[in-house]
Amino acid sequence: MKDTKITKKSLRVLLFHLFLPFYFPNGIKFIRFQQRAGSMGNCMSRFFVPLAIVLFTIMLPEGGFPADAIRIGEVNPLTGKLSKHGLEIHEGILMALEEVNAHGGINGRRVDLFSRDDQSLPEVAINQTEDLLYRVRVVGLVGGYVDALVGPISELAAKHRTPYVASASLQRSLTEGRHNPYFFRVSQLNGVVKPLCDFVTEMIRPKSAAVLYTATPGSTEFGHDVEACLRHAGVAIPIVEKFRPGTLDFSSFLLKVRRYQPDILISGGFFPDHLILARQLREQKIPLPAYLAPWGIAYPSFVEEMGEASEGLFGLCAWNPGISLPGTEKETVSFVEQFTRRFGKPPNTTTMHGYTSARALLMAIERASHGGNELSGDAISRQLRSLDLILPMEHLAFDQKGDPKHYQQVVVQIQKGKFVVVYPPDRASGKIMER
Amino acid sequence: MLVQLLIDSFSIGSFYALVALGFSLIFGVTHAFNLAHGELILLSGYLAYTLGKHFNIPFVCTLPVCMLALVFVAMLLHQLLRRVKEPFELNSLVVTFGLALLLQNAMLYGFSADYRLIPLAPVPTLDFPRLHVFITKPQLTLVGLSLLVTASIYLLWRKTFLGKALRATIQDREAARLAGINVEHMSLIAFILGGMLIGLAGPLYAQREYLHPFGGMEATLIGIIITIFAGVGRIRGILLGGWILGGVESTTVFFLGASWRELVSALVLIILVIARPAGVLTKGARSAKR
Repeated sequence: MKDTKITKKSLRVLLFHLFLPFYFPNGIKFIRFQQRAGSMGNCMSRFFVPLAIVLFTIMLPEGGFPADAIRIGEVNPLTGKLSKHGLEIHEGILMALEEVNAHGGINGRRVDLFSRDDQSLPEVAINQTEDLLYRVRVVGLVGGYVDALVGPISELAAKHRTPYVASASLQRSLTEGRHNPYFFRVSQLNGVVKPLCDFVTEMIRPKSAAVLYTATPGSTEFGHDVEACLRHAGVAIPIVEKFRPGTLDFSSFLLKVRRYQPDILISGGFFPDHLILARQLREQKIPLPAYLAPWGIAYPSFVEEMGEASEGLFGLCAWNPGISLPGTEKETVSFVEQFTRRFGKPPNTTTMHGYTSARALLMAIERASHGGNELSGDAISRQLRSLDLILPMEHLAFDQKGDPKHYQQVVVQIQKGKFVVVYPPDRASGKIMER
Repeated sequence: MLVQLLIDSFSIGSFYALVALGFSLIFGVTHAFNLAHGELILLSGYLAYTLGKHFNIPFVCTLPVCMLALVFVAMLLHQLLRRVKEPFELNSLVVTFGLALLLQNAMLYGFSADYRLIPLAPVPTLDFPRLHVFITKPQLTLVGLSLLVTASIYLLWRKTFLGKALRATIQDREAARLAGINVEHMSLIAFILGGMLIGLAGPLYAQREYLHPFGGMEATLIGIIITIFAGVGRIRGILLGGWILGGVESTTVFFLGASWRELVSALVLIILVIARPAGVLTKGARSAKR
């Protein structure tokens, strides 16, 4: 699909350059000469006809595809700091789309995906979404990683009455306290905080804990929620700290951990933060019984890069190859096989978030267009609201605010390089290993 | 605990100095504001990562290879910047910004968006249990290397004719030219030295932090901030600037919390720029005017 996009763009540029000589066949002076010579009509036809063709070519909504194709848009951080996870979501969306097109599209119509790169910057996300909504005229939007990027896209989608299914979003204020009937997401904060708090209080039973989170909207809410939940359970929290994403050194923070000796460190940082933190923990031989992080630990690439230093760390995930919603094991195996064949690497939990969000949007479009009905934002949103799907990651149904009703992550521990589910008990595949 | 804090401060400060040295040297001699500095460090880091991961070359042996490779890259950069017209400072900024974007996308294509790091061998630690103090091998390496590199450049600067010529070029290019110094030649030498330092910093960066195609901005910012701290062309000042910044950051995180780190560092930088506009080792604002 990405290749198709490049071809279309190249075609437009090629057409523009092909017609350029018509403007200035011998440079601007030639046109002036023609005017002086009085052959105005000839000049007009030579100048304006190609101009009209060029303008038409440029204004074409990314042309070349059949007129009856259904267009959906995707805005993701494909470059920039968040590109790792943005690309993973993109691959998940591509998988869902290719599956649908391989089975004849939606009610006989092919689905075209228009991918846009927000460069991990909110202002670019806004520009790219505007392009998709006003020029390409997509019927639905999907994708998005972190709330700082998802938030602006959801606002624009609501303004344009276009449904948007976010792949990775947590911030409560995006759905609570304001009515946005066009915004849906496949993840939510409670699905992370609740299993985490239950696990810590039931299984680890710490006397004291340290909480660390980043200065991003979702992580800040996470930090506050975890702190409140643990305090409520009677756990002392001597260290609660917020840090800027991209911090390169945690040694002074770890000195405090050494000083207060909490039983567990809960970190709301992201993948790169754990790379530094976990390594410095090991390097400085900090006596810490448990390290738990909801984002960034349960990735095969984390284990690959950290090696032995990752042993015993706890993470959370909604899905992973080998960890899926009970009853969807066959679908998971098939997905993993197809994905690995297509991309040459196994999928991970972020990929599955992209896949799930795209499946939801595509299913809603299919139902909304059933019987030849004209597709509209309102019709697709109505179908999204009544959706009830069993997917490998979750039993997907949205509440009135657009949040998923059943999204629940599981706690995993890295044991001999593998992810072992240790909580909740009904999904556990092993016991906790002492660090 | 305070002694440990001091050791951590020196370690992180030495790391900052090693990252900044290449930027400062090139900027001092050539006035080229190299916004692709961080990307060049990453490039060197990725080279060391590839050599270690795919060819099983020990980390120490990757250092000279990376230094040599980055000398070559720096010479190419010098050739590119030679063609830049006046105003050179501004135009070099635009050109190197473009180069940074190019390198980011090339690294994304070549190494994917996955985070990479060079693994540390099991780390021996010097323990002083009575003092509650320990020093890790990477900390010792960083402090030792930064001292060694700074001392080497300082000796080159002060004890050789080449060093004098380089310093003269930093102080006044036109006067240096009139004195018979081949300023173009000095620029090339600055790029070669800068390339060596960048080549050295890359693998250390990949071992201490992580590699990501779009993670170069942090290293570039470290280079710019430490150069402002130190003053242009002041080699000892770079190490001192690194230690001051490392100390300020570590102390702030320990006593006030991690969220205060950037604010306090920025305040110290502003105060230093006002009180010591020509660098941390100069004597007040008057020295800048002279």
